[in-house]
Amino acid sequence: MVSRSLCQEVLSRAMSTGADFAEIFCQNTAVHAVSLVSKKVDSISDSTICGAGIRVFKGLRSVTASTVDMSRAGLLRCAASAAAALGEGNEQREINLRERILPNPHGTAVVPGSAGNGPRTYLVRKAAEAAYAVSPGIVQVRAGLGDWDRRILVANSEGLYARDRQIRTRLFCTAIAEKNGETQSGSANVGRLMGLEIFDQYDPAEIGRQAAEQAVVMASAGYCPAGVMPVAIGNGFGGVIFHEACGHSLEASSVAIGMSEFSGKLGQVIANEKVTAIDDGTIPGAWGSITMDDEGTPSRKNVLIEKGVLKGYMIDRMGSRRMGMEPTGSARREDYTYTTTSRMTNTYIAAGEDRAEDIIASMDLGLYAKSMGGGSVNPATGQFNFAVSEGYIVRNGRICEPVRGASLVGRGSEVIMKIDMVSSDLELGAGNCGSSSGSVPVNVGQPLIRVSSITVGGR
Amino acid sequence: MDFELFKKAAVDEAQKLGLTEYELYCETMADRTAEGFGHELRSFSDSTTGGVSFRCSVDGHLGSAATQDMTEAAARQLVRQAVENGRFLESDDKAVFAPAGGAYAPCPERTVPAPDTADLVKTVLSCQEALYAADPLTRDGCESSVTAFERTVAIVNSNGVDLSQKVSGCMAFAVSVLQQGEELEDNYEIASGPLAEMDIRALAKKAAAGARAKLGADVASTGTCPVVFSPKAMRSLLGVYFSVFSADNARKGMSRLMDKEGQVIAAETVTLVDDPFYKDAAFPCAFDGEGSPTYTKNIIEKGVLKTLLFDLKTAAALGRTTTGNGARRGYDSPVAIMPTNLYLAPGTLTEDELLEKAGNGVYIDFLGGLHAGADPISGDFSLQSGGFVIENGKKTRPVKSFTVAGNFYDLLKNVAALSDKVDMPASGSSISIGSPAVLLEAMSIAGK
Repeated sequence: MVSRSLCQEVLSRAMSTGADFAEIFCQNTAVHAVSLVSKKVDSISDSTICGAGIRVFKGLRSVTASTVDMSRAGLLRCAASAAAALGEGNEQREINLRERILPNPHGTAVVPGSAGNGPRTYLVRKAAEAAYAVSPGIVQVRAGLGDWDRRILVANSEGLYARDRQIRTRLFCTAIAEKNGETQSGSANVGRLMGLEIFDQYDPAEIGRQAAEQAVVMASAGYCPAGVMPVAIGNGFGGVIFHEACGHSLEASSVAIGMSEFSGKLGQVIANEKVTAIDDGTIPGAWGSITMDDEGTPSRKNVLIEKGVLKGYMIDRMGSRRMGMEPTGSARREDYTYTTTSRMTNTYIAAGEDRAEDIIASMDLGLYAKSMGGGSVNPATGQFNFAVSEGYIVRNGRICEPVRGASLVGRGSEVIMKIDMVSSDLELGAGNCGSSSGSVPVNVGQPLIRVSSITVGGR
Repeated sequence: MDFELFKKAAVDEAQKLGLTEYELYCETMADRTAEGFGHELRSFSDSTTGGVSFRCSVDGHLGSAATQDMTEAAARQLVRQAVENGRFLESDDKAVFAPAGGAYAPCPERTVPAPDTADLVKTVLSCQEALYAADPLTRDGCESSVTAFERTVAIVNSNGVDLSQKVSGCMAFAVSVLQQGEELEDNYEIASGPLAEMDIRALAKKAAAGARAKLGADVASTGTCPVVFSPKAMRSLLGVYFSVFSADNARKGMSRLMDKEGQVIAAETVTLVDDPFYKDAAFPCAFDGEGSPTYTKNIIEKGVLKTLLFDLKTAAALGRTTTGNGARRGYDSPVAIMPTNLYLAPGTLTEDELLEKAGNGVYIDFLGGLHAGADPISGDFSLQSGGFVIENGKKTRPVKSFTVAGNFYDLLKNVAALSDKVDMPASGSSISIGSPAVLLEAMSIAGK
C-alpha cells in the first residue's frame, strides 16, 4: 500500500516540529452492496475508499491530518500540515520501521469480490423469496448483501509497520406486513468477519423467514402499556442493553476525562453479582473481531466486569496516556478521515446459571423483549434508551400477546445493578455502532436476562 | 485531485464501451477543526476528502460505482464496474439523466473567508474560557470545537449538464458540563457563520444555561397529557419522518402517503415547506444530486398534502416530473429522495402563549435514540425524553428519564398550535431542518 521507506520519510516529516509520537494509517476498502426490492434487483453499488490519516502527539495534545492523495508528495504535504499545526521547528528524526506479522485467526475462504454479482444476487434473492413465502400479509421485502474488503496499514514512530485485511459480509432482510391498513416491519440479519463461506453456516432463507415472521406478529400487536415493570430481554442482539447502558461508559474516550459514571471505580462493585461482561475482539470470524486495532495494537479479550466488580476499561493510545494504563486493542475508526478513539468489538454479558423458563416464570406482570432495535446513551449522565422491535406481555409467568412501540429508558449504573437473573443461552448479534470515530462493526450479546424493574415507554 | 483529467479518462472509457447516457458526480470536502478541552487545545485536525461517482444507462438500467482513487486507471475501472453492476439490475425503473437547459434559480452565495489556523485555535480557547466563566457549577469535561469547512460539488452528464457549486463556512460547537452534588448535566449548542461574526461568549452562555435548567430533574409521571415539543425536539422528529414524503418510499409501501396528494393528512395549522434557499440554511443549492433544478414548494399546505417529493427515476415511473429532490448524502451514496431544507411554517402564538394554551402538561426539549425508537415505516415512536413540567401555563420543574410515545401520522393531525418563530440552526448535513414550538393535544408519557 505505502512502502516502509516512504512511511519512514512521512513519519520523520510529521515529527519535525517536536512531536513525541507520530503515526500513519493507510486504508483501501472496497465496498459492494446488492439490494432487492419487490423481488427484483433494485441496486448494486461499488465504492472504493482510500486515503491516509496522519497523527502526531505531544503530551496530551494531538493533531490529525488526512488526505485522499496517496502519492509521495501528497503524503508528505499531509505530514507537514500535521507538523505545522503542532508547532514550529525543523528537527530531523530517524525512524526505523520493522514489519510485524500477526497470525490471523479469521481466514477467509471465499473473498466476496472474487465472486462477482451473480452469486451475491442469488443469496439475496433466496432471503427475499423466503420472506414472501411466510404469509400473504407480507406486502414488501427489502433484502441486501453488503461486503467490505478493508486493507489497512499502520506505521508509527515506535518502529511498528503492520498490515491487516478485514473481510466482512452481512446479509439483511426487512419485511413489511400489512393488516387493516397499518404496516409493521420486521428485520433480521447475519454478519461475520468472513467471506461468502458464511452461507455454509447460515441459510439466507432463514434470515428472510425471521424478518417476515416478526413483521407478521407485530402487525397484529397492540400498543405496549407504559410504566415501570420487570423486563426479560432475549439473547443475542438483546445485549444492546449492556452496550448502551454500560459499554460506552467504559470506553476511555469518556472515562479518561472523568466524563463517565464509571470513572475511577476499578475494583468497585458496579453491577449485580450475576453480571460478568467481556469485550473480546479475538473471537474467530465474529462480526466485531479484528486481528489488530486501527493503531496496530493486537486485539485481545478484555474482562470489563467480573461478578459485578469493575475490572477494566477499553483504552486507545491517547486514553492510555491520560489514564496511565496500557492500550487494550480497542482503538477503532470508520475510515482514515476520523480520529481513532476507544471503541467496543464483540461485547457481551457472559452466560449465567439461571434457566430461561425460570426467568419468564418469575414475572407476574412484565415485558418479554424478544428482539431489540438499537439505542443510544449519554455516558456523562448514564441516561440511555433502546427500542424493542418484538415484545410480548408476560402475565403470571406466561408469555402472552405481542405488543409494539415499546422502548426502554433508564440510567446505566442503576440498570446493571438490576440485572438479577442471567440464563445460559449466550448468543451474539451483529450491529453497527456510531460514535465520534464513525460507524464501526460490533457484536453485542447476552443470554436471556431479567431486569427487575425498568421504565417501559409505551402508550 | 484533478477532476478534469479523471473526467477525460472516464468519458473516453464510456465512449469506448459504447455508452450514450452517463453522468459523473464529484464532491470534495475540506475541514479544519480545533478542539478545546480544559484550558488547552486538545487536538487539531485537517482533512481533505472526496470522490467521484459514475452512473450510466446499461440497456435502460442504472449502473453505478464510486471511488476515491483519482488515477486514470481508476477512472477506467470505475466505468467498467458501473456497467457490470447495471447488467444485473432487474428493476422496472429506467435510467434517466437531467436534460440540459433547466431553469436554475439564482443561488445565494455562501462562502466565507477561510480563517487562519491560529484564529481557529484562538476562538476555541476563548470558548473554553467562556464555558468555565458561564456558571459557577461548571466542572472539567466542558469541550468545544471550531470548524472551517469548504465543500464543492460538480456534476456533468452526457446531455450537456455541467454544474458546480462551492460552499464554505464555519461552525462552533460548545458542550457545558455542570455538577451539583453527585448530579451531572451537560448540554450542547451550535453556532455558524463567518468566524469573525460568531458570538462565542453567547454560545457558551447558552450551553451553560441549558445544562443549568436540567439540574435537579425528576422522572415525569406516567399518563396522557398535552405536550409541547420545543423546536429542537420537533426538528429531530422531522429528521426521521421526512422519509414519508418520498414518492419512492410511498410507491414501495414504506410510507402511508401513496395516492394521498390533495387529501387532508394534517391539522389545518400545519404547513410544511421544502425550501432550497431558506435564509438560515447552510447549503443552499440551485440543483439537486442529479442536476435537476431545485425550487421552493409546500409539501403540506394548511393540512392538505400538496405533493410528494420526486427524483428523476421515481417521476418517470409514476408519470410525474421531478421536484428537484434527488439528493446525495456523499459522493458514494445512491441518489435518494430527500427534502432540501425542510421547515414547519410558524403559527401565530408566542412560545409563552403556547404554554398557556397547553395549561398543564410536559414541555419536551430533548428526544434521544431516534434511529431506533422511531419507526419510519409504521410511524410509531417511543422515545427517551427530557424537558420540563408545564404547570398553569408555565414551564416549571425539569424532568428526565421518561418516554413520549405516539405515531407520526396521528401527530400531524393533532397539532393544536405552533409558535411564531422558526428555529433552523446550523447543521453539518446538507439538509437543514427548522421548526417552531408545537403544541399537541394529548401524548402518552411513561415515567414513574
